[in-house]
Amino acid sequence: MSTPEPVMRVTNLIKQFKQKAVLRGLNLEVSRGSVLGLLGKNGAGKTTLIECALGLLRPDSGETWLLGEPAWTLSAAAKARLGYVPQEISLYPWMKTGQLLEYTASFYPRWNDALVKQFLRDWELDGDAKIGKMSVGTRQKLAIILALAHEPELVVLDEPAASLDPAARREFLKTVLAVTAEGNRTVLFSTHITSDLERVADHVAILSMGKIVFHGELDALKDSVKRLHIAAPSPLEKTFTVPGAVHVRVDGTEALVSVRDASPQVLETIRQQYSASVKVEDLNLEDIFLEMQYEAPQ
Amino acid sequence: MAKAFAITVSTSSGAPLYRQIIDQVRARVAGGHLAAGEFLPSVRQLAEHLQINPMTVSKAYSLLEREGVIEFVRGQGMRVNPPGPAANGKARRAAIFPLLKQAAATARQLSLTPEQVIADLKSILENDDEHA
Repeated sequence: MSTPEPVMRVTNLIKQFKQKAVLRGLNLEVSRGSVLGLLGKNGAGKTTLIECALGLLRPDSGETWLLGEPAWTLSAAAKARLGYVPQEISLYPWMKTGQLLEYTASFYPRWNDALVKQFLRDWELDGDAKIGKMSVGTRQKLAIILALAHEPELVVLDEPAASLDPAARREFLKTVLAVTAEGNRTVLFSTHITSDLERVADHVAILSMGKIVFHGELDALKDSVKRLHIAAPSPLEKTFTVPGAVHVRVDGTEALVSVRDASPQVLETIRQQYSASVKVEDLNLEDIFLEMQYEAPQ
Repeated sequence: MAKAFAITVSTSSGAPLYRQIIDQVRARVAGGHLAAGEFLPSVRQLAEHLQINPMTVSKAYSLLEREGVIEFVRGQGMRVNPPGPAANGKARRAAIFPLLKQAAATARQLSLTPEQVIADLKSILENDDEHA
């Protein structure tokens, strides 16, 4: 079986704002049918990456392909296969919910009215409510409905849950899960909330210092990154490290090392070489995310 | 089936979600809380209940099937297999192993001898009430 063309492909992407380099030669491929969580601190460049990848922002250099076309010159047909919820939602404040839905529907060859009605019911949105008077959370819900009603192949959500309250977030997660359950649909969503990502995503990409420092299966990431608690009888050198180390902290006779793929042999070597005790700690996604901030991108 | 819904997952745990499901099903089967012949909830039901990606549940189920803990029955779902006597003992020992490892690591840090630790563990096991 040949590898199918990725739904989104970003190669060597560079984007700079004034003197500030945001993306520094970033590579990312999103394969069809995956649910990819893009994880990064505030200001890491998640939105810049998404906007470049969707052809909304012109990169300084590098290539961005989307649904088999260059993103910057995306055809209307390709755009109809794409659903996008930006982080900052600007909808026409003078319109009512129902009007905006009708207006948006008129642009698309395909529009699932039943799905829209279902969402409005589930999320208790009023068709007569004026958009300008809505809360941020309600506006976000509406934006999500607008992005899904034409049943796009690729759904891109930029910090979708950021302005929702916990109850609405749960409800929203349920919806994303339902949306992703449909076979070939690809979902990319950016977040800094690791618990949301873990429930929904099957793949994760971590953006740090302008590059993707990890991209792969979520389970593989959790299985591979561990934290070692090392205690030796005599002080450890300041330069103490371990093969595969992501972040090392040495304090006298003790060291705290987050590490990738530490084999039992590696642990045994440390035990013998330093006559140290080594305790292996599982890390949750949030811990891993924080540790990965220290890893220098390749 | 209702009993299998007692499965919970936590995103603050270091274990991947699929492994949390596997561990709990295994422990419930080994401990007799899930009897042979009982059915697990469907992938969709459990995913909805836990609010997680169905692929995660599906992965856990297929690994449990490979281990022989459960078996797929056409048109009915995943059925709990009767645990063989050896498998049963093995599974129960496997369930406590991580805790023992943790205790061993702490014992090493405290420079306790194996004899001391084993003696304490033995006394805890034999005099449950006094230490509880």
